[in-house]
Amino acid sequence: MRTIFHLDLDAFFVSVERILDPKLNDKPVIVGGDPKYGRGVVAACSYEARTFGLHSAMPIRTAYKLCPHGIYLHGHGDEYTRFSQVVKNILEQYAPLIEQASIDEFYLDMSGTQKMYGSMFGFATRLQKEIWDKVGLPISIGIGSNKTVAKIGSDCMKPKGITYIIPGMEKEFLAPMPVETIPGVGKVMKQSLNNRGIYVIADITKLPSDYFGTAFGKYGIDLWHKANGEGTEYLTIQRTRKSISRETTFDNDVTSEEELRNTLFYLTGKVAQSLRKKGWEASTIDIKLRYTDFQTLTRSKTIKPTDDDKIIFETAWDLMKKARTRRVGVRLIGVGVTNFSVLSEQEYLFEDYEVKRKKMLRAVTKVRDKFGYESLIFGRTQEDKKLKGMENYFQIR
Amino acid sequence: MEPKFNIGTAGWSYKDWVPNFYPKNQSAGFDWLQFYAHYFNCVEVNSTYYSYISPKVVDGWIRKVENTSDFVFHIKLHQDFTHKRKYDEQNIKAVRYNLEQLKKSERLGGLLIQFPYSYSFDGNSVQYIQKLRNIFSDVSCFVEVRHQSWNNNRALDFFKENDLTFCTIDQPQIGRAIEFNPVVTNDKAYIRFHGRNAEAWRKSLANFGKPQTYEEQSSRYNYLYSPGELVEIEQKIKSIQHKVKEVNVIMNNHPQGDAVANAFELIHLLEGKRKVDMPQTIVKAYQRLEEIQ
Repeated sequence: MRTIFHLDLDAFFVSVERILDPKLNDKPVIVGGDPKYGRGVVAACSYEARTFGLHSAMPIRTAYKLCPHGIYLHGHGDEYTRFSQVVKNILEQYAPLIEQASIDEFYLDMSGTQKMYGSMFGFATRLQKEIWDKVGLPISIGIGSNKTVAKIGSDCMKPKGITYIIPGMEKEFLAPMPVETIPGVGKVMKQSLNNRGIYVIADITKLPSDYFGTAFGKYGIDLWHKANGEGTEYLTIQRTRKSISRETTFDNDVTSEEELRNTLFYLTGKVAQSLRKKGWEASTIDIKLRYTDFQTLTRSKTIKPTDDDKIIFETAWDLMKKARTRRVGVRLIGVGVTNFSVLSEQEYLFEDYEVKRKKMLRAVTKVRDKFGYESLIFGRTQEDKKLKGMENYFQIR
Repeated sequence: MEPKFNIGTAGWSYKDWVPNFYPKNQSAGFDWLQFYAHYFNCVEVNSTYYSYISPKVVDGWIRKVENTSDFVFHIKLHQDFTHKRKYDEQNIKAVRYNLEQLKKSERLGGLLIQFPYSYSFDGNSVQYIQKLRNIFSDVSCFVEVRHQSWNNNRALDFFKENDLTFCTIDQPQIGRAIEFNPVVTNDKAYIRFHGRNAEAWRKSLANFGKPQTYEEQSSRYNYLYSPGELVEIEQKIKSIQHKVKEVNVIMNNHPQGDAVANAFELIHLLEGKRKVDMPQTIVKAYQRLEEIQ
């Protein structure tokens, strides 16, 4: 079961305008165009303006008729982009995976982070407070087992609301809501459903999926699944970081297998340290090998997610041995990891050895974080000491 | 632990800061530096770049900031050392004397060593900077190099090994300008903001070397950072602040007092959103400051 957050910045454009000009607080503010010229639509409006019946996408001319005393602004596009990025930067500190759905909406996959952050509702409260304290923007959060439910949740108690939909209760949670609550159900679809006597989501789930398939095709089937609390569990991933890797170019080309092995071991240690510091595991291990004539090879292998030096090294060394088929000097080697997931302790509950090793590695990470990487070196070989001076050549990709 | 923040402007003596910062009606004893030091705890001195300042003048500065206990001066090194790169013992003595005078009275922040844009990373440059480091070995040195060739790990290691602060700058994103990104090479950070007025910057580069009025010279710094830009800047500075003991922030977007307004806003943002003591002149000129006073 996954834990998906949907974060929606409340009346985002208006909130930013109020930071730029605090005099707009508590007033009906409409961003989107100049009613004098009667063009354009409402891009965003404050909650005060909504009480007059205004909503996003309404023609500005109609908005003006309903709320002539409102404050109409063209907006500051650059500032919206900046504030959105600032919020994203905060989210990146906590969330292993983020999907930015629009300028004011984010999905976070927080699965497996309960051990780190405690109760998800409590974490959402802290996150909401941090964004308010640091940036001054109100945000609503929905927490659910999939994207659809989380999105509906974030819309439930705006502004500054947090809604946690208990896993397994999705269908019950949605049942009493009007059909247009489901993302994608617009005016036309709503009317079409209402004409069939379908007003609330429970009305959809009472009917078989075939009914909707026949009436609306694939979209109808999809609607029926959503009404039942089902939805996409996986984000359209823009990983916060694409890869963690280290590589080194040798002062003199290397032919000794032992030296290559020692160097790879050292580089792997650095990669695993970075990985553990972030609390992540990786499931794809990459190596890079460049011969003296600049021929460059890369190889990768996908394994069970890990953050363990030993496993990463053994996989990388195996790849390196298979890749290195020529008897010429090696100019550069590198190791990297991709395909991140958040450390999941549950999987190791009954594996004593792995649990102990994980605890040991975590302790190593903490010591190195405090006293520097060199404070603790795994005792594979004394050659590591020679490698100390190589730091200058490491690059982060 | 939170570092110490020294936030101020590049210079304090600007006529066009009246009436936006300095009041229009000034009494006979009114002194700009004294007024400035009531609100800020540091200033960058740029006049030392153009001339060798008399020790008497420096003595006057020290007296005027007497009432601000932690006020420091960051002194910009004379252009003979950085742009002409021709100096003699007398020049060294002249600079050192003033630095020592400030140091003795605990008013020296550090020495800003700003090289021209064309100064690139190579063996000679590295040796030259090391030479200056030796001459000014007992003061904090903030080195500003703007050529992209310095943007690599070897150059940063050189700074680290020589206990030099790599000066971070923010300027319009034109040509091959490096994006604002604070870098840490020792226990201090020194960050200079030149504004983001790309159009005036381009014009100024085109007129480089030609005689210009004060207004023409200043126009490229004519820029007020927006709330969104400031919050982005705050976030970037906060991402490095745990690595240093001291963060120096210098606003150089001086025309009409924009630098003063932005410096107050950054004090508010970087120092835990605290309320900021400001004169009513600046609040009147920049209404958004009302929220933070």
